[in-house]
Parts: sequence; structure tokens; C-alpha cells
Amino acid sequence: MSFELRDHTADVAVAASAPTRSELFAAVGDGLAAAGCEEIPETGGDRFDVDVRAEGVEALLFDYLDHLIYERDVRAVLPVDNEVTVEERPDGWRLSGSARGVPLADVDAREIKAVTYSEMRVEETADGWEAYVVLDV
Amino acid sequence: MSDDDVKEFGDVRLERVREHVWEMPREGEMRVPARVLASEQLLEQIRQDKTLEQLRNATHLPGMTKYAICMPDGHQGYGFPVGGVGATDTEDGCISPGSVGYDINCGVRMMKTNLTYDDVQGKEEELVNALFANVPSGLGGGGIVEGDAETVEQVLARGMDWALEHGHAVEDDLAHCEDEGFRPDADPDAVSQKAKDRGKNQLGSLGSGNHFLEVQRVTDVYRDEVAAEFGLSEDQVVVLIHCGSRGLGHQVCSDYLRRIEKEHGDMLAALPDKELAAAPAGSHLAEEYYGAMCAAINFAWVNRQLIMHRTRKVFERVFGRDWEEMEMDLLYDVAHNIAKKEVHTVEGEERELYVHRKGATRAFPAGRPELPPAYRDVGQPIIIPGSMGAGSYVLRGGENSMDLTFGSTAHGAGRTMSRTKAKQEYWGETVQKELQDQQKIYVKAQSGATVAEEAPGVYKDVDEVVRVSDELGIGDKVVRTFPVCNIKG
Repeated sequence: MSFELRDHTADVAVAASAPTRSELFAAVGDGLAAAGCEEIPETGGDRFDVDVRAEGVEALLFDYLDHLIYERDVRAVLPVDNEVTVEERPDGWRLSGSARGVPLADVDAREIKAVTYSEMRVEETADGWEAYVVLDV
Repeated sequence: MSDDDVKEFGDVRLERVREHVWEMPREGEMRVPARVLASEQLLEQIRQDKTLEQLRNATHLPGMTKYAICMPDGHQGYGFPVGGVGATDTEDGCISPGSVGYDINCGVRMMKTNLTYDDVQGKEEELVNALFANVPSGLGGGGIVEGDAETVEQVLARGMDWALEHGHAVEDDLAHCEDEGFRPDADPDAVSQKAKDRGKNQLGSLGSGNHFLEVQRVTDVYRDEVAAEFGLSEDQVVVLIHCGSRGLGHQVCSDYLRRIEKEHGDMLAALPDKELAAAPAGSHLAEEYYGAMCAAINFAWVNRQLIMHRTRKVFERVFGRDWEEMEMDLLYDVAHNIAKKEVHTVEGEERELYVHRKGATRAFPAGRPELPPAYRDVGQPIIIPGSMGAGSYVLRGGENSMDLTFGSTAHGAGRTMSRTKAKQEYWGETVQKELQDQQKIYVKAQSGATVAEEAPGVYKDVDEVVRVSDELGIGDKVVRTFPVCNIKG
């Protein structure tokens, strides 16, 4: 799985690809961390659980990233090394997983204000899955 | 119409109406035409990204009145372009959180002093270090006030009146703030617990990105009489503070975008961009969002007030005098990410509209009853920050703004270069050193990457933006300022 930070005049975009949908979501989560921090420590910080439900796959990605931003602010940590499982269920979509919360005091990180729906894509391709998300800086 | 009066950029056609006014004619599903207010130079920059496409998309919002308008500093945002103004009918239109933006009441205030540049020279380093040490910035730096749940509720409900009661403001501060620092429509109950959780540790903090606190000196005065009314003169030292409602406001926007998606999917499906999400005027959700947004507006005013009052204390220590003796008085505080119910004359009829200003500043001229008594006869001050290596401006509301822009003008220089490219082009420490060595501007930031992302070269020419505003008569140039010290997240 991988992600790239893409140009946007005022903000920043994350383009990610992965063999599975679950890995794709984790890659976008890692892209969110990278958009605000160039040097992420390989160790340190405690893992915390993440559990998100939504009515659609794009809504799930929006809510997942929104939740990571919320956790960042209330726990004062940068969520990195995201691990998630995405499932489609009869009553909607569910994401469960965890992130390693690196204390903000230990990193040189800047604020990503929010996730946006602008140009958002979550698509299956011949090689797996791709996503594109614009983040408000 | 000559060839010079028509511009075609891909599938976007612009026709020159007159100098600096370009119209995108109504076609397809557009409810109204769109207008771009720009010189040829600025239009050449505006057309480079998706600004014009986003402006056209904005014309699809229900109840859009007259035009969707792009200010001279416009650039691509998400949904509505930054530098966008759109007025929708409060009876049969809509209110659009995406057209306000995530950082509700992101705005600017300017505090005057009676110090001159001579008083500050030689103390810049001490001043910038003291400001940086005492004004929280960046991520996780906390706020000036340790907010508990009750504090956040009170701030949301009462705005600057809370700051006054708790010794963080004086009466005169309220008298020199847009709406006196209080939106009476604020409804704290409409703000989610998640938003309140995010806000309580950030009350009195700059954040990061393009937010900053800057000590400046007045270098040019263009309208002597207006400058005198504003209490501004050449060589005077002023302080400019640019920030918003922090995580609380961001969460309010995110929460309501999702609620609109769930509760008004039919309206959303008819819009060309999901980020334009709007609640129908008169719906319960529209009223709830308006109440939550107004509460976030109050929060942002208190945020900037706390930073300003802390700055007074820092100046007291550095200059060894009381802030009152240094006449550190608020000139004005203006929002540039906001939607407000305002009454405007449209085709001879007075109508109440939700005026969305996303990266645009209210620019009411003299005579408007909304203005505080201090500025009712002269027009409201408008503060236009430039980059940390260029000047900023104070304008006053122009006579033509009510007719052309629903009483609005630009909000800054506007970016031209992406953040990722800026980090490839610039190195933060080099930018800082060059600003200090070549222009005597002292910059201190939590992150070198922020300095690179905000390097002067990534912004449009603020002088050109202000020239267009002035020539259109929507915001008249009063003074220009230049940076002395700058702190950022």
C-alpha cells in the first residue's frame, strides 16, 4: 500500500493505492499524518482503537479521517501506523482498527484542519483500490 | 464586443463588463451568472487552477441571488472557491456550510499602539521571542485559557462579553469588533460534544497554516482623513492577528456537512460538488447550522481577543510600560469565513439574504447601521494581510461594495503555489534568515515547514489585489503596513 501527497493551491491532497480496501483506508490515514508532519518517529506512543460506522464507502472514509483529526486534538497525539479493517454489512459500512498515537510534543507537526469531500474518490481498479482526498490546511 | 473583451479558458467563457469586472454568462444548470473581479494580471493567475470551475459550481446553489462572485485574491478551495461571495435567499434559498468553510470566523484584527518603529528597533528579537513564548501556536500547544465544559458553553453563548467579564477585554474592545464580538443567534446546544471537546484546549491559540501574529509598522498613508479617523499614522507600530475558531469551528462544519448528506441528500444530489452541501432555508437543519455557526463565530472572536490581550501583557514586559499608556487599542476585528443574514437591496427590493463570505471580508461603507458608532460616518476598517515578506493593508468599506459585492472585498493576497511545491522550492531556515538579513523581519515558527509553506513567493501580489479593490470602489486603500516581527505555528 502507498500514498502520495499531491499539489493543491491552498490545501493538500492525498492519493493512495492498495491491494485491498482496508489497506487503502490505512494508507489514506498514514497520508493524513504525513500531510502534517515530515518526520514521523518509527517508535513511541501508545496504540488506541478506532471504530467508525457510516452509510457509504466515501462517507466512511470522511468519518474515519475526521475521527483521526478529532483524536489528534483531544489526545494531543499524531495518529500514525494506521491498521484497519473495512467491512460492508447489511446495515452499512464499518471500520475497526487502531493507530499509534505519537505525542505531539515529540514531533514537528502542523495542523490539518479537516477532511473534505471535494474531488473525493474511492474506486476499485484492475490492481486493487485507489482513493483521492483533499485535506483543508 | 472585441476579442480583448472575451476570455475563454477551457469551457469557461468570461466577458468583460468593465475594467476589472468579468462575467461568466448563465448557461446550463447555473441559476445566476458568475462574476470575477480581477485585473488581467490577477485573472491570469486565477485561471490556472479550478477557481473558475468552482465559481461556476457555486451558481447552482438554490436561491443564489444576482451573481456568485470571485474576489481579486480568489483561488481554488473546496466546493466554493476561496475569495468567494454568494448571497442566497433566507426564505427559499439555502445555507451552505461548505461555502463558509471549515474555519468558521477565520478573521483578522488589528491593534494600534502609540509606539513608533524607532521604539521597537533593537528590541525585535526580544519581542518576537517573548511573543512566541507567550502566545500558544502550532499543534498541541494548548490555549491561553484552560477551558472546561462550562467555559466553552459561556464563550459560545456570549462571545466577547465573556472575555470582558473574565478580565481578558475592556469595553472599548467590544465597541471595535464586528457585531461587537457577539452573534445573538448563537446556539451552543447545536454545537456537538466532539466540537466542544476539540475547542476546550485551544481557547486562545493561533493554530498553524497561514495563521500568524505580526508586529507591523505603517509605511504609507493613502487617505489622510480616513487614517486620522482610524487613528493610524506613518511609522506607527500596530499588531495584526490572523486566526479562527480552531478545532471547534472545523468540527462544526464537518458535522453539518455529514448531517446535510444524511437529511437532505436530494438537494445535495442536484449540486455539482458534494462540498457545496447546503440545507434548505427554513429547514430545521438550516436553523441549527446557523445557530452552531454563530456560536463558533463567538468562539473565534474570543480566541483572537485572548491573543490580543496576552500581546498587551507581552508588550508591557518588553517595553516596561502599561498597555494603556502605549494606547494598545483595537482598531477592528473582521471575519472572512462567515455566513450572515443581511438585508440587501436587489432590483429595488429589500431582501434578507444569507451572505456567504468564504475568504472574503465584509466591506460596508459609511452609513450602514451595522457599523459601530466609531466608524458609522467613515466606513468600516478592512484588514487585508499580505505575506510575511510583503505589506498588509487597512482599507475602508467602499461606496460601490453594496452594489457590486453584497458589501464585500478581498481577504488577503491569495496563494499561487501549492504547499507541497513550496516545500520543494523553499527551505524554512533560509527564508527566515533572508527575511531578517535583507528586510529586518524577525520570524519565529513552531515548524520550519510552515515557514517554507508560507514563504512570500507563494502568494499573489497583495498590492495588485488592493489596487483592484480600490479602483472598483469596494474597499478603499487607507494605509499600508510592513512586517517587523512575525510568529506562526
